[in-house]
Amino acid sequence: MTLTTDKNGTNLTVHLSGELNTLTAPELTALLNKELGGVKELTLDFAECDYVSSAGLRVLLATYKQMKAAGGDIKLANVGENFRDVLKNTGLDAVFGF
Amino acid sequence: MDKEYVLRIPAKVEGLDLILAFVSYLLDLNGCSGKARTQLRTAVEEIYVNQTLYAYPEGDGWAEMRGSVENDAATFTLIDGGTPFDPLAKADPDILLSGEERGIGGLGIFLVKTTMDEMKYEYRDGCNRLMMRRRLHDDP
Repeated sequence: MTLTTDKNGTNLTVHLSGELNTLTAPELTALLNKELGGVKELTLDFAECDYVSSAGLRVLLATYKQMKAAGGDIKLANVGENFRDVLKNTGLDAVFGF
Repeated sequence: MDKEYVLRIPAKVEGLDLILAFVSYLLDLNGCSGKARTQLRTAVEEIYVNQTLYAYPEGDGWAEMRGSVENDAATFTLIDGGTPFDPLAKADPDILLSGEERGIGGLGIFLVKTTMDEMKYEYRDGCNRLMMRRRLHDDP
């Protein structure tokens, strides 16, 4: 998986490219642990990532809780059809505002 | 049944890439739709990773993935010689809870249950056997 970031003040966008699975989810966790300090609005861009397993969902939920507890927000952008199905099947579409 | 393909490897999470390549090969060989391909690969990932976590608490072991396609449906069966464990017996998570109320885990097996057409667990001849089946194409 390739992760790239754009930071603008307290806004951080992470672009994901590849598959967010059991083997790659720790890479996203490590990047977020490093970059989230001071961030108020986090956007995860899934334009090039349409495969998300439960390991990826765990990272998203943990980050959601972390952002909300700190008074921040998290958004998922450019969600594809397959990932949208996963969010819907697990009820996370409501959590992430779809 | 058409030809059955078999992959047997050490039951380690690092083998996931190999397992997913095996699944992709069989599905691509049979012209699987994009949606079914993603759901089958995700289901196999969840079941395999779960197995590597729970089958061999005392040490190393093996995992065998069997795959076949018949009547436009793919069947994958994960077999191991570890501790008897039925992942399908696990209670489903409450997916209506808010993000703040939810635990962060427990979605994997539930996700598999929501996307497969058929699943079956049995413990036979000293082995766990978890079968999952899904159509390669959904009805129009």
